[in-house]
Amino acid sequence: MQKVIQTHAKAADIFCRDESRVDWHSKALWVLREKRDRAASSLPEWETLRALGSQIKLHTLNQLPGYLEAFEAKCLSQGVKVHWAKDGAEHNRIVHDILSRHGVKKLVKSKSMLTEECHLNPFLEGKGIEVIDTDLGERIIQLNHQPPSHIVVPAIHMKKEEVGDLFHEKLGTPKGESDPTRLTRAARAHLREQFLSADAAMTGVNMAVASEGAVIVCTNEGNADMGANLPKLQLHSMGIDKIVPDLDSAAVLLRMLARNATGQPITTYSSLYRTPKPGGEMHVIIVDNGRSAMMRDKLLGEALKCIRCGGCLNTCPVYRRSGGYSYGHTIPGPIGIAVGADEDDTHSSPWACTLCGSCSFVCPTKVPLDKIIFHRRRLYAERKSLPYGKSGYMPLVGRFMASPLLLDTGMAAARIALKILPHSLLKPMSGAWGKYRELPAAPGSSFEGWVKKNRPELLVKSKGEK
Amino acid sequence: MKIALFTPCLVNQMMPEVAIATLSLLEKLGHQVIFPQGQTCCGQPMTNSGCFNEAKNTTLKLLNAFKGVECDAIVCPAASCLVAAKENFHEFDKSPEAQAVIDKLYELTEFLHDVAPVTQFNRPVAKKLSLQLSCHGIRMLDLAAPSEYMGPRYNKMEALLSRIDGVEICYPERLDECCGFGGTFSVDEGAVSAKMGKDKAQAHANTGADYVVGFDPSCLMHLDGTIRRRQLPIETRHLAQILNDAL
Repeated sequence: MQKVIQTHAKAADIFCRDESRVDWHSKALWVLREKRDRAASSLPEWETLRALGSQIKLHTLNQLPGYLEAFEAKCLSQGVKVHWAKDGAEHNRIVHDILSRHGVKKLVKSKSMLTEECHLNPFLEGKGIEVIDTDLGERIIQLNHQPPSHIVVPAIHMKKEEVGDLFHEKLGTPKGESDPTRLTRAARAHLREQFLSADAAMTGVNMAVASEGAVIVCTNEGNADMGANLPKLQLHSMGIDKIVPDLDSAAVLLRMLARNATGQPITTYSSLYRTPKPGGEMHVIIVDNGRSAMMRDKLLGEALKCIRCGGCLNTCPVYRRSGGYSYGHTIPGPIGIAVGADEDDTHSSPWACTLCGSCSFVCPTKVPLDKIIFHRRRLYAERKSLPYGKSGYMPLVGRFMASPLLLDTGMAAARIALKILPHSLLKPMSGAWGKYRELPAAPGSSFEGWVKKNRPELLVKSKGEK
Repeated sequence: MKIALFTPCLVNQMMPEVAIATLSLLEKLGHQVIFPQGQTCCGQPMTNSGCFNEAKNTTLKLLNAFKGVECDAIVCPAASCLVAAKENFHEFDKSPEAQAVIDKLYELTEFLHDVAPVTQFNRPVAKKLSLQLSCHGIRMLDLAAPSEYMGPRYNKMEALLSRIDGVEICYPERLDECCGFGGTFSVDEGAVSAKMGKDKAQAHANTGADYVVGFDPSCLMHLDGTIRRRQLPIETRHLAQILNDAL
């Protein structure tokens, strides 16, 4: 996959040119937000669950080494092999070693954003191993040679007619077929063949339960289970942040995961795996890949509370109108900015946000997403790598705003300009504002000017003013 | 009460009518109002861009305008600026004098609802109002329960306006989705900001209301520019203007 280097604004501008598509994309995701609202409001204890969820994740992250070691020990005692990977490259090497030891030619994979993050598919394909993504949405975009555009509904950017065309080409469905049920049936038949002929299965991990040495995998299509139960060899990749202390804490998070993602009470399949099948092997690969570095910054570290429900993407007014591919990172939307801004070479993703805060309120584990995004901007400013020319103009704005004289005379001039100059002349000078909106109507004077003229007795000078 | 008016630069320079309405309504309610000189911007355009160094002088200038001013409360008719002022004052000055200023800062809706409650209005306002629930006011100042929140519902703007005879209150679809202004976002991310503004303005217009009413002048300015560009049959009004008309 070729990485496209362009700022979020530029990518979003291109996405926005097809307004009917933007409306369709925005509405499709808003439907999920509405379903989430209904599901969340049906639980009187929703806000209590959120508070608990946040505490569980914070508690575990604060004692991560202890819980990870306990998890490993329990896994080993149950015959599960555990591997540790410091980054994506090491993760991919470990996976490849295991697969090649078993002579694996075909791997069926179930939804894992972590393997996307590590770019596992192209790595394995380069080594001659066929990788089949088995989640329907993931399979669609894999056939279309695209990365996910959403963490829960990865093919949300494609219309059913486009899926129909793709399936016609790749799976031989009738031309013009766009009925979702018939397309799903065709995909299911195709995927059954893959499951039956695979040598190994790999899944992501929604939660890893320290006390049980178990991994929990949630899917709606049962594809993780079809994969893990058929071949002898099963692999599970998890970030270090996926650990939870026990089944009670997992239960709190499971009650919110699907409700906040799609409005379902729970995912259709929420499976626990904790021992290899008879004669088989089970491997868990525990991956850091920048997570412990992120935890050194207390606020950024809170992003690791995320349970990947995708709720923040569905509610984000910017994501819904700019699409998943505009963010320059595997994970898009608010959580993508929080965990992945450093990988955006244009430095623009933290500005793909109005700081409206809806994401933080929708989040089931109370990740302070808007605060993290705000903080990301400050880190860029401190590194002197601001986008959109800000390092050039912001000092000028700062000086202008700090001087009542400059501010007053400058704004007085602007008010006069707005009054006497034709707006057609001013609009190009006002950049994006005038391109899309009418300029403000100019008042005759400032409020301070009005007070001086009409109510001078109100004026007081502070002792602090220099 | 003795109230010092905090009029952020946008209100002072571009929307003096909002400040005049605020002054007038506070005086009608029997408060003594003063206007400290030397106020400037709260620093939000800079801090929202990450540029804290560039915001420092501006913020301290504004803070100094209020230091030592004798008053019971400092009231601001702009939610987003008030939040920024509070946070930036704290960021750049940790002195007790600064804290004394911070402790007196109130957004207008908050002040009229929580601090010196207005229970009665004298004049009817026969208008249909579509309420603009601006993000910083609802999610950072608790002016209303955000739609994502599943706890008790409250809405201080609606509570105030519903005490006025004749007023009909309604909400746009996706009632508290951001309007897309976002300060420099409106310029940096022109296309998305414009689309958000367009969707929001249209949703307000679809209610058939006479006015979009809100507590945040920056969102109202953004919506106003969009409404006029699209020639939608609705106008923007600040909460202070409606309340002042009813007194």
